[in-house]
Amino acid sequence: MGKEQSFGPPSLMTSLPEDIIVDILARVSRCNYPTLSLVSKHFRSLVASPEIYARRSLLGCTEHYLYFVLYDRDNGYHRWYILNWKANSNSRFVLIPSLPHIPYDGSFVAVGSRIYVFGGTNKHNMTTSALTIDCRSHTVQPLPSMPVPLYYATADIINGRIYVVGNRNYYHREKTMVVFNTETQTWEEPAIIEPDIELDYMDYGCVVMADKLYTRDVHNSFVYDPKKNKWETDEMLDRKVWNNACVVDDILYYFDCDEKSLREYDPKQRCWGVVKGVEELWAKTRLAWWSKTVSYGGRLALFCNFKEEERKQEICCAEISLERRQGGETWGQVEFCGHVLTGNFILAKKPLALML
Amino acid sequence: MSKKNIVLKSSNGIIFEVEEAVALQSETIPYMIEDDCANDTIPLANVTGDILALVIEYCKKHVVVADGDGGGSSSSSQEDLKNWDAQFMNDLDQSKIFNLLLAADFLNIKTLFDLTCQFVADTMIKGKSVEEVRRTLNIEKDYTSEEEAKARQENEWAFK
Repeated sequence: MGKEQSFGPPSLMTSLPEDIIVDILARVSRCNYPTLSLVSKHFRSLVASPEIYARRSLLGCTEHYLYFVLYDRDNGYHRWYILNWKANSNSRFVLIPSLPHIPYDGSFVAVGSRIYVFGGTNKHNMTTSALTIDCRSHTVQPLPSMPVPLYYATADIINGRIYVVGNRNYYHREKTMVVFNTETQTWEEPAIIEPDIELDYMDYGCVVMADKLYTRDVHNSFVYDPKKNKWETDEMLDRKVWNNACVVDDILYYFDCDEKSLREYDPKQRCWGVVKGVEELWAKTRLAWWSKTVSYGGRLALFCNFKEEERKQEICCAEISLERRQGGETWGQVEFCGHVLTGNFILAKKPLALML
Repeated sequence: MSKKNIVLKSSNGIIFEVEEAVALQSETIPYMIEDDCANDTIPLANVTGDILALVIEYCKKHVVVADGDGGGSSSSSQEDLKNWDAQFMNDLDQSKIFNLLLAADFLNIKTLFDLTCQFVADTMIKGKSVEEVRRTLNIEKDYTSEEEAKARQENEWAFK
């Protein structure tokens, strides 16, 4: 199978035209790139080049990677981690040492191969700093500062614009929204929008379905339609305290930790349901005290945390594929379920799915 | 209707006569026919005879035969073709593989180019260690120990 024979110098591979070498390397899974960058300096520059990622995209070879912010309770740092999927249930979180510590409580949005980071708390002060992380090279570039600092902000993207909603003041219930245009890389005018809604602490996250932004506090859900620039309520959506949800094909999913079920909400039919066929998970997540979900490549990944001992947490991950059946029922299939991290960590924010 | 044949000449002077449909899988050859209409033989200065023979073998297998209804149908089923491609590539040594890749690029035969690139990626690079890749592709280490240690540190996340 393998062609391991060597034909003496010069290397046939490296004497190929550069664009052909890029074409070959673009077809290899990105998880091989760290190895390739150690083969030679030439390979190292190729696997970090924008050209190879453009070629991967052109060839349809891009892959999904999950990035996380973990709070290390031993040293008080928030750092970036990547989930290394491996066979034989050896998947695990790995620290990305080249990325800086991040401020507490910032807002994060994944857009293609980039993560946008807005605000957060630095030494007890809210910052207006904004930056983008290029996950192809794991490098950081600054962005224009936010028009105002926002507390407890939540953010998501609709048609190239990132909507960041939060509090101007620590105690205020009135919300403020700022909008970042990812195409022009500037803040939109008017810089500060003050929607006529009141929300308490928004630690429940937000999602986007059918080009509308959904967010909630402990009592109410709100739906924002950027086309109409209008905020509305959705009483049906309020019936469940959805949190840390994700969206697959315009259906909202979240894990109900109390009742141990994977719930779904269809905004078109305006009805709640429960995903069937994943009951095997509930025995394993029996002791989970929080969960987060993320959608990637049409699948759903569920992360649960178990409080084992005071200074030791265990994080498990389940990968679930979803099938919408006639009649509106959704059936899940558990593709993978296993332990991914042990340590004194908290999964600080929702996981982010990147295309690389 | 008689089938038109095209004559190709390799860099080392070997002549191949093939049906037009076989040759026209190359997107480069039609331009050469236009440019060189006075002469029936198309010279391929970049492709040696042994490699051109492989290219023609591939193109004959992949030729789409026009049927009586005027539509097109593949001469083999997709599955058969895939198996044939795999066997075709597996029988080649590394030198032939890389020369075939260059020929596919020069002649602009998209499917053959994709096949050879993917084969190199899958059999010589994917899942191999640093040492294995260097040995397989005959690449000399150009890092100093210090530089290698630094590069390894930057990529540490992937080796856990």
